[in-house]
Amino acid sequence: MRFKDRLAFVLSNMKKNRMRVFMTVLASTMGCAFLIVLASVGFGVQKTAVEDITGGRLLTQIDTFTTSEEKPFIKKDIDMMKEIDHVKAVTSRQRIQNEGNVSLDGYSKDLFEVFVPDFKDEQKAGLELSKGRFPQAANEVVVGYHYGENLSKVQKNKKEITYKASLYHKTLTLTIKQKEGKKTKKKTIALKVVGVGEKPPKRVQEGQELFLTKDVLQTIEAFTKTPKGMSKSDIDPKHPQPYNTYDDVKVYADDAENVESIEKELKKKEYVASSRLDSLKEINFVFLFIKIGLIVVGTVAVLIASIGIFNTMTMAVTERTQDIGIMKAIGAHPRSIKQIFLLESVIIGGLGAVLGTIISYLFSFAANALLPVIISTFFQTKVPDDFYFSYIPLSLPLISFAICFGVTLLSGMRPARRATKIDVLRALRRDV
Amino acid sequence: MITVKQLEHEFRIGKKGKETIVPVLRDVNLTVNAGEIVAVVGRSGSGKSTLLNLISGYIAPVQGKIMINGTDVTGMSEGEWADFRLENIGFIFQSFQLIPTMTAFENVQLPLVFKGVKEVDRKIQTETMLKKVGLWEFKDHYPGELSGGQQQRVSIARALIVHPPLILADEPTGSLDSENERALLSFIQQLNREENITFLIITHDEEVANIAHRKITISDGRLVEGSDTDEI
Ligand SMILES: Nc1ncnc2c1ncn2[C@@H]1O[C@H](COP(=O)(O)OP(=O)(O)OP(=O)(O)O)[C@@H](O)[C@H]1O
Ligand SMILES: [Mg+2]
Repeated sequence: MRFKDRLAFVLSNMKKNRMRVFMTVLASTMGCAFLIVLASVGFGVQKTAVEDITGGRLLTQIDTFTTSEEKPFIKKDIDMMKEIDHVKAVTSRQRIQNEGNVSLDGYSKDLFEVFVPDFKDEQKAGLELSKGRFPQAANEVVVGYHYGENLSKVQKNKKEITYKASLYHKTLTLTIKQKEGKKTKKKTIALKVVGVGEKPPKRVQEGQELFLTKDVLQTIEAFTKTPKGMSKSDIDPKHPQPYNTYDDVKVYADDAENVESIEKELKKKEYVASSRLDSLKEINFVFLFIKIGLIVVGTVAVLIASIGIFNTMTMAVTERTQDIGIMKAIGAHPRSIKQIFLLESVIIGGLGAVLGTIISYLFSFAANALLPVIISTFFQTKVPDDFYFSYIPLSLPLISFAICFGVTLLSGMRPARRATKIDVLRALRRDV
Repeated sequence: MITVKQLEHEFRIGKKGKETIVPVLRDVNLTVNAGEIVAVVGRSGSGKSTLLNLISGYIAPVQGKIMINGTDVTGMSEGEWADFRLENIGFIFQSFQLIPTMTAFENVQLPLVFKGVKEVDRKIQTETMLKKVGLWEFKDHYPGELSGGQQQRVSIARALIVHPPLILADEPTGSLDSENERALLSFIQQLNREENITFLIITHDEEVANIAHRKITISDGRLVEGSDTDEI
């Protein structure tokens, strides 16, 4: 029997029992939506709490410092850290320290958050671009997602405006300054923006960076004759500053589970290390239980809906016992009959799962948009910005869809099997 | 076409352990040749329907062997039976056994649907068959909107649609008046003559038995060739 014909059978069957099918779909929709919405509250509150703690940083990130400023990180330190077990990546950035600026079409910005990273390490650590690629030539640069917000100019009416257009494929002008006696020398370097970073999570002070290549650093250092473009007046001649030191070093674990052991190892090697793991561990543990509880409750709702499907399908089979008997008598394969009824429960369950998912997304959006308004109107309490009442990670609808689908398939299995077991003679005698 | 050897059947009634055994058929041997019309007669309760149900595969015999069209069908699974029926046997029932929620057209094309025939081909074949039984104008009627005679013709069209070499019929005229009965019988004779279809017909009815090439009587669970008028 062709699939098309089976489908036609099922559809005409469903049409004959519109009301019953509708109610069953409604029940499974509600079950599925209930499951997702309930779990999404757990996920939402957890996300809010986690973002509060981490400020959006990765759990696997360990901020690392040396014990004193006199002893900055050098290449040997970085290489050693990379050797520690379970370290996925170590990023080491050199910070440009110069009084110059970056300009574009009259907008400008001082040299704040200008770094020279190792792009390979950054990529390993998870730095991603929303646009473009990483630098290949010396004068190519990558900017953070929000870099443009700090490029500003003062208009004639004394109002300050910031650069709004995309920086992608624009050419920035980097101006480096150095004092020579009383005079100030300047050097300009043209930098082409070939990549823009990913949008960082909300309320995180990130995405303001300008990433230069090592070649540009060399050009800068050759011009200023100081490491990282430092002003000569900032350097005490008795303590000459060394070249090739790193200012911003972060260690990334391959898994959050291994953060603790890496931290321990770093401390043993006399570095200062800090991560947000301890406080997170506790809170995630609590939320794990909350989420499991919510999913269990939601699954109960799905199970209740599945009883509806079981009933509907059992009735559909009972009602059609004679038809099934006739079909078998003239040569319908039991397999086809089973598949017809399975298909019907799959369609009902699938419809329920799809509708339930859609409804729970709508519900989630509505809750996040409306609840803060309602709460501030009626309870005079302000909900903090970016508070998630409900958050649906992609895995949630997938899990619920699998649960709904699996449960309906299971509940349709028995009625379908019963249909194939119908005794032809009894059905033909119409004494069932 | 059909060979039945040493067939034995009994029913068990009652709860397990305390069941009574009702023997129905004993040592039944039967051969139906291709192109024959064979009528099976016998007293009510003599086991005629049981014999036909065994040959149709609706029940499995306690003992014995059944061959149909060169295939040993004893012990075939339900699925194998389904495929075998679609290829080899057309069925006609006393109470028509049409699906009430399907139109005449849909009822007739049903075996083709089970066979997986494409919709376009199905349409052509079903139309030909409905025209052959003279019911093309009634194609969109549901069984409840047709007379008994028309319903039986729909069921015959359904039996013929896969061009089976054999048709099994249990009291095909049982629900028909004498006029419809005569029409059905002459149609059976025509199909037998023109398309060489073999018929095994179970009947009470003298008129039906009269069109058969051969009559077989069941008595005391055994077959007797020829008719014993006292038995009927
Ligand atoms: N499912 C069953 N369970 C128990 N006994 C049965 C069953 N089907 C038939 N019988 C018995 O088997 C015997 C033969 O029945 P069958 O239906 O074959 O008779 P028949 O010759 O077709 O009669 P009729 O001419 O009245 O249709 C009867 O005694 C009947 O009681
Ligand atoms: Mg009978």
